[in-house]
Amino acid sequence: MGRPTSRTVSLGALFLAGCAVVYALPAFISSFRAQQFAYVGIYLIALIGLNILTGYTGQISLGHGAFMAIGGYTTGILISDQGLQIAGHTFSNDVKDLWTIPIAAVVAGAAGFLFGLPALRLSGLYLALATFAVAVSAPAVFKKFETFTGGGTGINLFGIKGLTGSISGVHVFGHKLDFYDWLYYLSWTIALVLLAAAWLLLRGRIGRAFRAVRDSETAAASSGVSLATYKTLAFAVSAAYAGVAGALYAIANTYVNPDTFPITLSIFLLVGVVVGGLGTLSGLVVGAVLVQFLPLWSQEISKSPGAPAVVYGVILIAIMLALPGGVAGLLRRVLPLARRLYTRPR
Amino acid sequence: MSRKLALTFATVCAALAAGVPGALARGSADPGITPTSILLGGTAPLSGSASAFSSVARGAEAYFKYVNARGGVHGRKIEYRYLDDAYNPAQTVQATRQLVESDKVFAIFNSVGTEHNQAIRDYLNQLQVPQLFPATGSTSFGRDYAKYPWTTAGFQPSYQAEGWVYGKYLARTKARAKVAVIFQNDDYGKDLLAGLKKGLQRSSAKIVAAEPYEVTASDVQSQIATLKASGADTLMIFATPRFAIQSFVFVNKLGWKPLIVNNIVSSASSIMTLASEGGTNKAVVGALSGVYLKDPTDPKWADDPGVKLYRQVLKTYAPGANWKDVYHGYGMSVAYTMVEVLKAAGKNPTRASVMAQTAKLSIASNPFLLPGILVKTSATERFAIEQAQLERWENGKWVAFGALWGYRAG
Repeated sequence: MGRPTSRTVSLGALFLAGCAVVYALPAFISSFRAQQFAYVGIYLIALIGLNILTGYTGQISLGHGAFMAIGGYTTGILISDQGLQIAGHTFSNDVKDLWTIPIAAVVAGAAGFLFGLPALRLSGLYLALATFAVAVSAPAVFKKFETFTGGGTGINLFGIKGLTGSISGVHVFGHKLDFYDWLYYLSWTIALVLLAAAWLLLRGRIGRAFRAVRDSETAAASSGVSLATYKTLAFAVSAAYAGVAGALYAIANTYVNPDTFPITLSIFLLVGVVVGGLGTLSGLVVGAVLVQFLPLWSQEISKSPGAPAVVYGVILIAIMLALPGGVAGLLRRVLPLARRLYTRPR
Repeated sequence: MSRKLALTFATVCAALAAGVPGALARGSADPGITPTSILLGGTAPLSGSASAFSSVARGAEAYFKYVNARGGVHGRKIEYRYLDDAYNPAQTVQATRQLVESDKVFAIFNSVGTEHNQAIRDYLNQLQVPQLFPATGSTSFGRDYAKYPWTTAGFQPSYQAEGWVYGKYLARTKARAKVAVIFQNDDYGKDLLAGLKKGLQRSSAKIVAAEPYEVTASDVQSQIATLKASGADTLMIFATPRFAIQSFVFVNKLGWKPLIVNNIVSSASSIMTLASEGGTNKAVVGALSGVYLKDPTDPKWADDPGVKLYRQVLKTYAPGANWKDVYHGYGMSVAYTMVEVLKAAGKNPTRASVMAQTAKLSIASNPFLLPGILVKTSATERFAIEQAQLERWENGKWVAFGALWGYRAG
């Protein structure tokens, strides 16, 4: 890399401005809204991860809910009293939730790597089916290991010592934060860091290799890009992101059970990525907002049997017809226009 | 992107950041109640695989509308706001937070599902928001009232009470029964089994085999084969509808002819009809189950005021709803109880006074429950319904027989 280009500088400025908006927002909304936006941050992390895999590397995953579940259960089991023993140490309420987030990333990342190995042999529709199978079977697997996972009843984290947040408030750097504001700052801080990390990863050599694999595997291989390495790497990184999202999801819900990571979660995540824009990072926030709020909005419109699902579907179809390139595609079309308008008086 | 645009953005954001954090002040009166209205909230699966249970909320809603049209309770209209959780506890948590903190409900009422209610129980108790009549038969809700003073028992008869009734019946009528049990390997199946064991105590009828299955299993053929090999002459099916149907089918295939007792969760007429395989499966004939709601499809109740009211309320306040769906009846029976609680709590109910009322229920008049069923609680005994009648599957429908069976925990 040579000197930072003007594009890099303005992107940096934009990112900082975005950070400012994110950090100022809780001052203007109720803490209940802050909680809802905390979930947007959590979904954003999962969407970034999924976009690395699907948007940049061209590997469809319908199973990211399962990787979120691995992250969520890692956190749940480590901070609660499930009798887990590692190297003679019994985990019983003595681990802080924050420390489990990187562990969740590692565990989910390892699972993603392991899944990535057999997935090398599959592509397109077959890969989608295989990942779908992971999402379908994950709840069954979690129910199976009842001693660690609490079976169908799951793990209740409310009021556990390891949980930093509580209804009575959280003290951070001498400030007292409301529980939901705490969730908001926690998830968005991690989301912004991971967004920057993804941007750095994708703009360099690795990102180029990912895109080469997506655009043409033959061309990529003949240019010396190792398909096996980069596909499994994409799976691992993507799953690690999902693991972080899952850990935060468990912390925010203060509850994990197999039904908290249903198959529909995996599908909503893919929908979020497509709406945000495959292969771009800029539109994913809108995708995350949609994942969180669209189900709520659609039941505002009608509650008669089956209606929310229909409204949800119709809105999605309308979005895809209006914005085939997702929100990022819209930005790409609108921004040059805005820039021309903006600079004309000069 | 020009630098100027980015700079403008940054300036706007800096201005935003200077804003003052808003703090929400709390009044001293309980939220969700005004002189003219009281707001209840709850969750139900309006979408997803369990959306059949949405009738539980819709039936209750229709009954509240009926009561409101007649002036409400002490001049207050009951507003019942239920949100979709897609039967996902994570969404139950979020929706409940919305109801409590944004919509400011007076209480959470009739939320559907065992795990779903467990996921919000600690939260509601810490905030001292009543969690009224969760739609579950899990024993823990009625048992742990000391730990969770803001949570009432579920409104269904507890699974233990149900199992106990079957045990008592066998002990009295089939004293030498050799009982085999297939049960779901979770709280629901284990509660039923524990109740059965209690009912069989001090009788010569014995449980000779009990086979669990996982919710995630594909079928229960091997369990049924093992149970048959035990030489049992009675089979208890403590399974959800899909596995209950399979059990009937495999029993018939194996040529086994035990007396079968099917639990209430799987005893809807539609499920029994499926299990009878178009009349070819004789294993369903003479099967037993329990019942506590008036089945609106039973011709016996055609002229019953309760079932007439049920059909009229549904027709007027939930047009298009399927009256044959007995879950609506469940919703109305719990809404009826809620109305009685509010009446008893007086002109100016508080969250605490409503909770106090739920601990001293004695309502014999619920028109949607079988005649004689008493909804009763006391300071030390919180399970609301502990009575059920037995019914037998004859000629393609359920026929109730005998008197009500009453169970008292402890």
